[in-house]
Amino acid sequence: MAQGAVLGTQQYNYAVIRKFSVMALVWGLLGMAAGLYAALELAYPLLNMGIPEITFGRLRPVHTTLVIFGFGGSALFATSYYVVQRTCQARLYSDSLATFTFWGWQSAVALGAISYMLGYTQAKEYAEFEWPIDLLITVVWVAYFWVYVQTLKRRSQPHIYVANWFYLAFILATAILHIFNNISVPVGMFTLKSYSMYSGVQDAMTQWWYGHNAVGFFLTAAFLGMMYYFVPKQAGRPVYSYRLSIIHFWALSFLYMWVGAHHLHWTALPDWTSTLAATFSIMLLLPSWGGMINGIMTLSGAWNKLRTDPIMLFLITALSFYGMSTFEGPLMSLKSVNALSHYTDWTIGHVHSGALGWVAMISFGSFYHMIPRLYDTKLYSTRLVYVHFYLATIGIVLYITAMWVAGIGQGLLLRAFDDFGSLAYTFIETVSFLHKPYVVRALGGGFFVSGVLVMAYNIFMTIRQASREEAAIEAKLAAKLARA
Amino acid sequence: MSETKTKQQGAVQTTGHAWDGDIQEFNNPLPRWWLWSFYATVVFSVLYWVIYPAWPVGKGYTTGWFNDITYTVNGEERSRHWNTRSLLIKDMQEGKEALLTQEYMQKVEAADYQQILADPDMMTFVRSVTKGLFGDNCAACHGAGGAGVIGLFPNLADDDWLWGGSVEDIQNTIALGRNGYMPAFARTLNEEQLDDVSLYVLSLSGHEVPADKLMRGKQLFTGEAGGCYYCHTAQGTGLKSQGAANLTDNIWTIADVPSQAELAGKAAVVKEVIRNGVNRVMPAWENRLDENQIKLLTVYVHELGGGQ
Repeated sequence: MAQGAVLGTQQYNYAVIRKFSVMALVWGLLGMAAGLYAALELAYPLLNMGIPEITFGRLRPVHTTLVIFGFGGSALFATSYYVVQRTCQARLYSDSLATFTFWGWQSAVALGAISYMLGYTQAKEYAEFEWPIDLLITVVWVAYFWVYVQTLKRRSQPHIYVANWFYLAFILATAILHIFNNISVPVGMFTLKSYSMYSGVQDAMTQWWYGHNAVGFFLTAAFLGMMYYFVPKQAGRPVYSYRLSIIHFWALSFLYMWVGAHHLHWTALPDWTSTLAATFSIMLLLPSWGGMINGIMTLSGAWNKLRTDPIMLFLITALSFYGMSTFEGPLMSLKSVNALSHYTDWTIGHVHSGALGWVAMISFGSFYHMIPRLYDTKLYSTRLVYVHFYLATIGIVLYITAMWVAGIGQGLLLRAFDDFGSLAYTFIETVSFLHKPYVVRALGGGFFVSGVLVMAYNIFMTIRQASREEAAIEAKLAAKLARA
Repeated sequence: MSETKTKQQGAVQTTGHAWDGDIQEFNNPLPRWWLWSFYATVVFSVLYWVIYPAWPVGKGYTTGWFNDITYTVNGEERSRHWNTRSLLIKDMQEGKEALLTQEYMQKVEAADYQQILADPDMMTFVRSVTKGLFGDNCAACHGAGGAGVIGLFPNLADDDWLWGGSVEDIQNTIALGRNGYMPAFARTLNEEQLDDVSLYVLSLSGHEVPADKLMRGKQLFTGEAGGCYYCHTAQGTGLKSQGAANLTDNIWTIADVPSQAELAGKAAVVKEVIRNGVNRVMPAWENRLDENQIKLLTVYVHELGGGQ
């Protein structure tokens, strides 16, 4: 507690965290708005308006990049810098290197989005960045790793807190994934176009090894790191089980690396890779739930907080969605289930129950806890946090139910036979079926985006309030000095 | 359950560390149900590895046991370890739907067009298969009901046939494709001549047009200056071998004559076609669909438009 009494704003490097937090919200708003527009384009193709830059094919990677790397990435930089400093009680290793990671990361995200709209892409899902941006990301990532490890080394605590294990696993795994999936040969020094080093099924395999571990380490492990700090902190309770955290951390790290091929069931991939991916996905279920149990049980004995604390509501709901989507994932990775779900919107719904329910909700909760502390003030409005929470939850429920209907419905239509053993539906009939669920999905997205708008307003007012308070204190001080 | 957990926690010690002032950790044991469920998934996986191809070994892999797939190739029985390719072969040979389809497909293969058209049972099968065949391959241009798009894709649901409406003609059209071509007359004929020919063409299908223009138009149509009669014949009834339209039946596939109320408007749309010519392509399907599928589609299209 003694260190806590020293003003955190002076002891730690908060400036870079503030920057990342604000940008996380900016990218979040832009990226989710892009997603909403893309969803509307699917329901009403007229909205493509014949403008190449905003057609669905280009807007979709803009959406995924802005939300995963812009929003999610910036949120992770922000919270990891916050958590590593506070749990090590050490200032960030180098202010300038940390600031470099900020500007480097932001430029990579911005350049990525612009280049996709102009039509430049590696055509690898979640790795669409062309090679010069890939190089920039690599440099930024090495700097990030260095800042993080050096800060850990300067800790004034004998033990490294569990949140940091998860953040470090995320940084290391992401480095490996990013480098190996993006090895490619540029067409020339002065062109953005490049070709992957791998071809055919190897390329697909490498891509989904990357793709699923981006989910595993970027969108799961790292956010578990966030959970391990902000849940006990906000609950004011000890973490439920240290033993469980060790076991599920190593199980998660070991098992995730094997499962990428479950994205390629029933393709040219060898059958044995499919089997391994499916079984490792099944074995991932309980280790994933280990994180959920550890988070939710931390609140045991203090359940009443859910009635009074909307931030806790965000954190615990996030964990519930995490548990739900990590149950759904292994189920979908079984070959027989996948035969129905693959190439349908069930996959999109699954991703969003993780992305909106888990990733975004845990980030919102953490931000509501962290940002007032970064600015040494109180949150502008608790009531608006409730408003945000309900908008977000309604949005998610609408979104994922619509996608279950769309996905399972289309899957069943595609495999329906008539009395003569002929396919009962033409492909286009299975597509026109999707219109209504697509409208409901866009509606859900609309709810979710408006929730983020409420949050952006709340945070903006909080920061403005902080600068006013600061100005008032300074004025008082100046007046005192003048009198003396 | 939460009560027992709380009691347990009361007895459990923290690890003794504290981070950031107040973050501590209990050292609760792993929940039993969690641990046993985890073991269960491991057992499930091991069983899965036993019966399916799973682990790479040297240049091969464990093939899985007790799960062979037996199917027939050229009358010879083969048995392979479980794999998706054999599964597909077996399903196409023995699956319930595949068997149903096969039975009818053999009937269709053995029958000629007249037999198929005369057999209500086989015709029901034709409609069942072609729903998907036509819907997935043809409907993108010709529309789900075969009504086409005027100016672009011919209507298959009317009685008019550009390339012939017999089953043989339709089969040829589907298998080999068609190039619908009419030269552009923009450079051959001047504005006045184009007007005259357009009015003459309209007169062929019973439209009332001024007599002087009609005469001049007829001279162009049936003379060497226009040469329209090469393909459309002197009577304007068209020529199947060229895909040249019958101009006397008041059925329009390119110029949208019915959309215009006044004669001037009708003449204008016909004039545009004569001025710019026609260049339409229907792709050949013989390399994308098999003979039986083309046969089925032929019957369907023949039915659709009341074939000849």
